Amino acid sequence: MAAPLGQIELDADAAESVEGPQVVEKAVAGRSPAQIAWRRLRHDTVSMIALVMCILFALLAIAAPFMASAKILQPYTFHNNLIGGLGSMPTGGWGGIGWSHWFGVEPQTGRDVFSRVVLGVSFSLLIATTATLLSVLIGGTLGIISGYMGRSTDFWISRFMDLILCFPQTLMLLALSPVLKQRITDLGVPAGTPTSAVYLILVLGFFSGPYFGRIMRGQVLSLRNREFVEAARSLGASRRRIWVRELLPNLWAPLIVFASLTLPLNVSAEAALSFLGVGLQAPTPSLGNILFNSVNFYSADPAFFYLPGITLVLIVLSFNLLGDGLRDALDPKSTR
Amino acid sequence: MTSLNRRVAVCAIGVALAVTATACSSSKKGGGNSNQSGSASNSGTGALNTTKGGTLYYLTKRPVEHWDPQRTYIGRDLADASRLFYRTLTQLKPDNTLVPDLATDTGKASDGNKTWTFTLKSGPKWQDGSPVTCADIKYGVSRTFAVNTITGGPNYAIQFLDIPSKPDGSSQYEGPYTKKGQALYDKAVTCSGSTITFHLKKPVGDFNYAVSGALSAFAPFKASQDKAAQSNYQIFSDGPYMLQGTWQEGKGGTFVRNPQYDASTDTPGIRLALPDKIVWTEGLTDETIFDRLLKDQGTDQFAVTDRSAPPAYQVRVAAEKSRVTNPDTPFVDYLLPNFKKLTNPLVRQALAVAVDKTSWITAYGGPALAKPANSIILPTVTGYKDFGNVFGAPDSGDPAKAKALLQQAGVPTPYPIHFTYNGGTPTTDAEASSMKQAWEKAGFKVTLEGLTDTYYDVIQNPSNNQKYDVTWAGWGADWPNASTVVPPLFDSRVNLSTSSNGQDYGWYASNTTNSAIDAAYNEQDTSKRNAMWGDLSETLAKDVAYIPLDIEKFLRLHGSKVTNYGENAASNGYPAIGQIGVSG
Repeated sequence: MAAPLGQIELDADAAESVEGPQVVEKAVAGRSPAQIAWRRLRHDTVSMIALVMCILFALLAIAAPFMASAKILQPYTFHNNLIGGLGSMPTGGWGGIGWSHWFGVEPQTGRDVFSRVVLGVSFSLLIATTATLLSVLIGGTLGIISGYMGRSTDFWISRFMDLILCFPQTLMLLALSPVLKQRITDLGVPAGTPTSAVYLILVLGFFSGPYFGRIMRGQVLSLRNREFVEAARSLGASRRRIWVRELLPNLWAPLIVFASLTLPLNVSAEAALSFLGVGLQAPTPSLGNILFNSVNFYSADPAFFYLPGITLVLIVLSFNLLGDGLRDALDPKSTR
Repeated sequence: MTSLNRRVAVCAIGVALAVTATACSSSKKGGGNSNQSGSASNSGTGALNTTKGGTLYYLTKRPVEHWDPQRTYIGRDLADASRLFYRTLTQLKPDNTLVPDLATDTGKASDGNKTWTFTLKSGPKWQDGSPVTCADIKYGVSRTFAVNTITGGPNYAIQFLDIPSKPDGSSQYEGPYTKKGQALYDKAVTCSGSTITFHLKKPVGDFNYAVSGALSAFAPFKASQDKAAQSNYQIFSDGPYMLQGTWQEGKGGTFVRNPQYDASTDTPGIRLALPDKIVWTEGLTDETIFDRLLKDQGTDQFAVTDRSAPPAYQVRVAAEKSRVTNPDTPFVDYLLPNFKKLTNPLVRQALAVAVDKTSWITAYGGPALAKPANSIILPTVTGYKDFGNVFGAPDSGDPAKAKALLQQAGVPTPYPIHFTYNGGTPTTDAEASSMKQAWEKAGFKVTLEGLTDTYYDVIQNPSNNQKYDVTWAGWGADWPNASTVVPPLFDSRVNLSTSSNGQDYGWYASNTTNSAIDAAYNEQDTSKRNAMWGDLSETLAKDVAYIPLDIEKFLRLHGSKVTNYGENAASNGYPAIGQIGVSG
């Protein structure tokens, strides 16, 4: 039904013009918490720039695989004619930067760095986002149950979360990678890149889950005895209904803040793990393995080192700034 | 270069069972530095400067794992030990010709190469002044049989000596510590005065190479000095240098002249022993080593290294024209089709024809750092046969011909290939990616899997024999004869067992090849035998039992006050420490 839309707009305009003098009063009365937060955020210039950057990166990440299959990006094509000499360095100046290769070409292979970085952003963000969603899911579930149930349930879930937090995470990830990757492959995930991606998502999601779980538990502890929960309980609402319908809507703010701050953390964790050799398999690019490669050439081919590095910094910075801004906007009482 | 480093020239230890032939296999892990060298690229030009004196510094990264002569199996350590402190019955000259060392000649074979006799010189002495006797050699060789204590070394003594095996394949003689089966050993190795006789199970025409300094496993060992596993870093010298104090594992040690060494008992030209002192420092990073060598100040002017320049240093290192060297490693990199999966010969041929060695080498760092190979045998190894590319394909591959071969094979395309390689480094990843691109041009669909530390364990594991279509490996001869290349890699009888594929990583099993190997061993005529190895390497290439890729090269720097610098075939492409001196 397309027609009524215009009608509503018209109505709204009409209402505004009619009730002009009372606009201010009405606005104060009618704003939802989300609107208030958005208004605060909109006045925060830094956060708005970060938001625009994040949206740009997200769009780029979504478009990259399609651009690659349409051959606009050619991350896997070798250009042996563009490299040469000792160490097979790019023959063109500045790492071979030119109109056809915006970020230059890769030493040793002559692959287009821009294509690889863009596709790398795509893979990195895909992994980071999925891992973040997984940790929100794990942490949210554990936190709500733990906080609401209390007593021994709370005790065991909390101890479990403490246990996970105790692990020397990076060390475990490295040590477990051969075994777990083999398991994942045995479960039917194709070997190579898909297995590595699933591994990264699972471990990053699993290990950051308890952080969120603790935050959620604290929030739920403060909410569980509030009147609206008491009311729902006394009306005979089921536990699930209370968790999903009563508690969850009040937990959106910490959830969004956590997610927006965990995402950049996961982007850099993915990069670090790829750097340590447990990330995506070649030739699939990710920001981590591009950097791992380019570090070898920091002196011989600075462009190859700095451009992917700056891209990674920009992504992590924009998501972090956005996360900070969101936190301020959603909970202005919190101190930095 | 980063924190992860290529495991240099790791000599694969035969998998548990003594029957397995073992030799040096290279393993890639971390940037462009690796391996040993085979070709005689002696950079020392002009007449040798034989001025004695001064201190030579040896800067290196990888700590020595064993100085025990029966446990050493690393090209660099063997090259150094044989020139500095361990003498063997025979020795290889810089150009790989065999000369006598402790023995008066290079050995006499009888009984159709099944009995070998060596007579010892009377002059050579241990560092305590006692003479090196026949009993010392016999004792040294016996230590290899103590497989639970003397680990890590080659097991040629167990393979060759005429001592019966137990049903599980291990030898009935269990070494000098338990002395179980000692009578069997005393029968196989006999001493009569200064003459030692080895009785072998099968004809070994190049046994006198096996007892040379190329491997120190047949070196003498004085029984009174033997502390079994505790002797790992003990050096009891009969050569021109001896260890001052003790060896500091991970740090190094200092070698000084051995006053008991008499150069007149030695073959001229093997051990010039020019510096008075050699200071060995291990555990440095490649970056530190090359920073210091590039600066060339203080004691670093008298320094050499076995390391190859990491990628970030290559251009600057190459610019030091007077000090840079670029010798071949003694390894051939090759690919192995899995004969359990790729049973159609046309598919294997298509793979071999499509291989793009040029891109592989470019990904490795360009023609200055590697050259294409057509055979599994290095050109400097006796038995090498130059047959070009067996399928007439250019170095950059022939995708059109490969496509035609695939069509002829009648298999559905794109044909899926699972390629496993020793990954974890940008260089090996780039190499594998170049191979993926080359094969995909020819109608294959390639899945890459780069394994790290456990690479050889995984590809040797029989439970993975239906998983990988193609694997990567590197191999270098134990002594410069093709008999240490073809049988250890392609004799299915010594390799394939229920627990491992040994060094036959492609599960290649051919009765024709096995009988051809026996025929070559039984051939009495040396030149005919060597030609038979060469022919076998060609037959195997035509059968695509292996796809040769390249021979990598080192890129190395030495201090400006180092004289007679060279790297040669006998030093495995590492600094030829027997000839290097220092000036000023």
